[in-house]
Amino acid sequence: MDKQLDLLQGTLDMLILKAVSLGPLHGYGVLLRIQQISRDRLEIQQGSLYPALYRLEHRGWIASEWGESENNRKAKYYRLTATGKKRLQAESEKWNRMAEVIAEILGTKREEV
Amino acid sequence: MTAWRQMLSWLRATVRRSQMETEMDAELRFHVEECAEDLVRKGASREEALRRARLEFGGVERVKEEGREARGLNLVDNVVQDLRYAARLMRNSPAFTAVAISTLALGIGATTAIFSIVNAVIFKPLPYKDSSRLVIFRTHTGMFPTFTLNLTWPAFEALRKEAGLREIAACRQTDMTLTGGKQADEFSVAAISSGFFEQVGAQPALGRLLSDNDQAATGNHVAVLTYATWRRSFAGDPGVLGRQLILDRQSYTIVGVAAKDFEFPGAVELWIPISLTPEVQRNPTFFAFEVVGKLREGQKIQNLEPRLATIAARLGQQLAAEKPDITSDYKITVKNLLEIQVGYARTGFLVLLAAASLVLLIACANLTSLLLARGWNRHREMAMRTALGASPARLKRQCLVESCLLALFGGVAGIGLALAGVQLFRGIAPEDTPRLHEISADWSILWFALTCSVVSGVISGLAPARHAACVSPNELLKQATGLSGTSRFGKGLVVVEVALAFVLLIGATLLVQTLAHLLHQNPGFRTDHLLTFELPQPPELPGKDAEERATGQIARLKEILTQVKSVSGVTDAVGSDHGILNGMVFSHAGLKLEGSLPGKSVISEGVVSRYVSPEYFRLLGVPILRGREFTEADTLGKQPVFVVNEVMARKFWGTVDVLGKRLSASQDVNGKPVWGEIVGVVTNIRDLNIEYEAEPEYFLPLFQSGVASHHLVVRSSTNPEALVTPIVSSISSRYPDQAVIKVSTVTATIAKSVGDQRTHTVLLGIFASLGLLLALLGVYGVVSYSVARRSQEIGVRAALGASRSDLMRMVLREGLTLVASGTLIGAAVAVAVVRVIAGQLYGVQPSDPLTYLGSATLMLLVGLLACWVPARSAMLVDPMVALRYE
Repeated sequence: MDKQLDLLQGTLDMLILKAVSLGPLHGYGVLLRIQQISRDRLEIQQGSLYPALYRLEHRGWIASEWGESENNRKAKYYRLTATGKKRLQAESEKWNRMAEVIAEILGTKREEV
Repeated sequence: MTAWRQMLSWLRATVRRSQMETEMDAELRFHVEECAEDLVRKGASREEALRRARLEFGGVERVKEEGREARGLNLVDNVVQDLRYAARLMRNSPAFTAVAISTLALGIGATTAIFSIVNAVIFKPLPYKDSSRLVIFRTHTGMFPTFTLNLTWPAFEALRKEAGLREIAACRQTDMTLTGGKQADEFSVAAISSGFFEQVGAQPALGRLLSDNDQAATGNHVAVLTYATWRRSFAGDPGVLGRQLILDRQSYTIVGVAAKDFEFPGAVELWIPISLTPEVQRNPTFFAFEVVGKLREGQKIQNLEPRLATIAARLGQQLAAEKPDITSDYKITVKNLLEIQVGYARTGFLVLLAAASLVLLIACANLTSLLLARGWNRHREMAMRTALGASPARLKRQCLVESCLLALFGGVAGIGLALAGVQLFRGIAPEDTPRLHEISADWSILWFALTCSVVSGVISGLAPARHAACVSPNELLKQATGLSGTSRFGKGLVVVEVALAFVLLIGATLLVQTLAHLLHQNPGFRTDHLLTFELPQPPELPGKDAEERATGQIARLKEILTQVKSVSGVTDAVGSDHGILNGMVFSHAGLKLEGSLPGKSVISEGVVSRYVSPEYFRLLGVPILRGREFTEADTLGKQPVFVVNEVMARKFWGTVDVLGKRLSASQDVNGKPVWGEIVGVVTNIRDLNIEYEAEPEYFLPLFQSGVASHHLVVRSSTNPEALVTPIVSSISSRYPDQAVIKVSTVTATIAKSVGDQRTHTVLLGIFASLGLLLALLGVYGVVSYSVARRSQEIGVRAALGASRSDLMRMVLREGLTLVASGTLIGAAVAVAVVRVIAGQLYGVQPSDPLTYLGSATLMLLVGLLACWVPARSAMLVDPMVALRYE
């Protein structure tokens, strides 16, 4: 659990969208899945997760309904909506382009300038 | 799309707030418990696991709060907070609140009342089926360039076949005498063609309406009553069906009563099927039929015009040989029914609406300057709140919430005023105001008033909000007077207010003068102690030919005159064929003159003619310039004689010395002109309409020929109103079949003829007074506020030796400068906009310098009054107190 990375500003929304795009999840499940995919390399403030979920739901990118959890308890499940799907795609593309550019800049060597 | 979804989500969260809270609780609890269970699985004790789970999660309340924020719920909380705060402020300064609310209530009330009237009269569709597609056809001819005529039957037939309308129907309105009762009565009857009721979607309240079968069966005498006639003349008796009515000596069976408020065409009292002789059906110059058509769906009124032109051209050609005067510029015009019914009243009503809106604008400006002034008093508080972290947006919102709340209260009070205003209007509006009975308080008042409130709340709150948000904490700390911007803006507002009020004042002053001119217009005869009424002619007088019938008619009229003269209180009585000042005359075209000015030997335009009995001019008190008036000797079979008025003599002969000149107004059976001699010239009188200059008019002896109608003029020695009953009963005791209608004193006729002007003048007068009052308040507010703010400076001046009158002059100068600049701007605006009401003015020019001078003086006096109180308080500022003010 050591050497975790802090989440970059504004990326939590994208990660949540990605997490629920793999299948409906409840809030705690979103947290677990992100940690699982990132192999525990990302630190997510549990407190900031819910406001982010509500914000995404408010914007209509994810939708929620109550269901049963694995151990038969009532839980609120979130799933990706059609607009959310488009949004995720757009965000991913933007992120990839950004990452590419940043990587290129950072990888620049003296003789290449 | 997204905005819409967010709105929905926000609404859901707001409306189902408690459910949302419960769900959020449940969701967060679930999270913590799941997390704890995982920890238990990893070996922690249950208690320890829960503790660690909670720790990892962090502050639940903060998460919830952020969750609410994410759903936009805090907006509601904040607005509720702002509302509470605004309500508290309102309670704490009742004087300010009262002034602000009543100011807006006046503006909103005035605008709403006028809007609902204008809406009912001008904008609401007429209460007929597909009313927007109903059109009316009229005939225009060069013979009468100033007005239009109804259609002839051949024109109606041509339209029915060729105009390509969905439906078309005709009716002929006449007056018929109802006999058989205690007293003869006169009914306005519409004889209608088939399809008339169907076209406008009329429904019966009782029995049935007229059907095509009624039209087909000639001699089928049936009648349908209007609801109002049924109530008035038959006491709403349901057994009225099947009853017989004797109208013009012909019996009609009542078969139905039309639905309440259905009256078409206007002022009708009952309907009968039209029945026409073949001669009338062929007559190409009998312009008697009102024609209503319905456009096809999507058909444009303009598209009709080419067809109408073709039809008119053909009809004109057929006529050209016989009646060349009529066919010059012969056209069939078409207009929308609504346009016909209310078009002429539109400008007047829109001017009133504009005036009311000006009052509302002034009220808004007033509220703005009040809020600005108070904002200055509160700028310490605002700065403090900014320093404590309130965002400018929040402060702005609060200001807007405050002004909107004030405006809403003003709107509610305004609704009350508007309801009262609508009642007032119905009370003072002349009876012939179009669609008067459709004006009533309805839901439109509520919506309009609320919209007005919100709009004026936002308008009034914008400037104060901007200023509130601009306050910087630094300024607070320096207690600087860095708010001169605010006060400049406030002063600007007052100038605008004064300018708007001045425009209203000018408009009202012009209308007041118009009304005064009209009421005191000298019509050229003595109007006091005069009673006039109409004696509708019984349809068929006995007699075998026209001459014998005319003899009978004249004899009967003479008898009635004698009868009337014998009533005590009656000084004298005369007769004529048209009433005085009732707007109806006979206009004769094709007059032939002898010895006239070059080019005036045949007069192609219509000249007003009037049949009058002997002594007519003496009774009215009209001076006779040359010759004589008619006498008992000018009777049937004698040499035709004429009296002309001065303007006719001068216009056609160029002199008043026209005695003995001959003129011809008719032809004998062989088509030869019948010549008569002028025996007298009288001064001009305005006997048609008080507003119009006297036109050329000639008079013929009433006892020399049979005429279509009789009017009586009675001069009394006592109150003429009191003579109505004795005169009417004296006539009907002798002639039970003689109806007596349109009884009125001439003074009442004049008052009624200026009814529109009176109503508009009263309303515009009210608006101008409101505007003036509000402007007074505005000037007072700004000047006294400026004095209060400068009390320190004034104290210093006093301490340095400024005399009290110096100080007073300083304040007065400041205030009056504002008023004077407002007045100047207002005058410039007024010059530009009063042109709109130029058509309603009479006897006064729109740019009358005296009006402007007088109104400006009044405005300055009002301004002086408004500055007086603050100026006095400036004079009384104690230097010591003022200096210690810090």
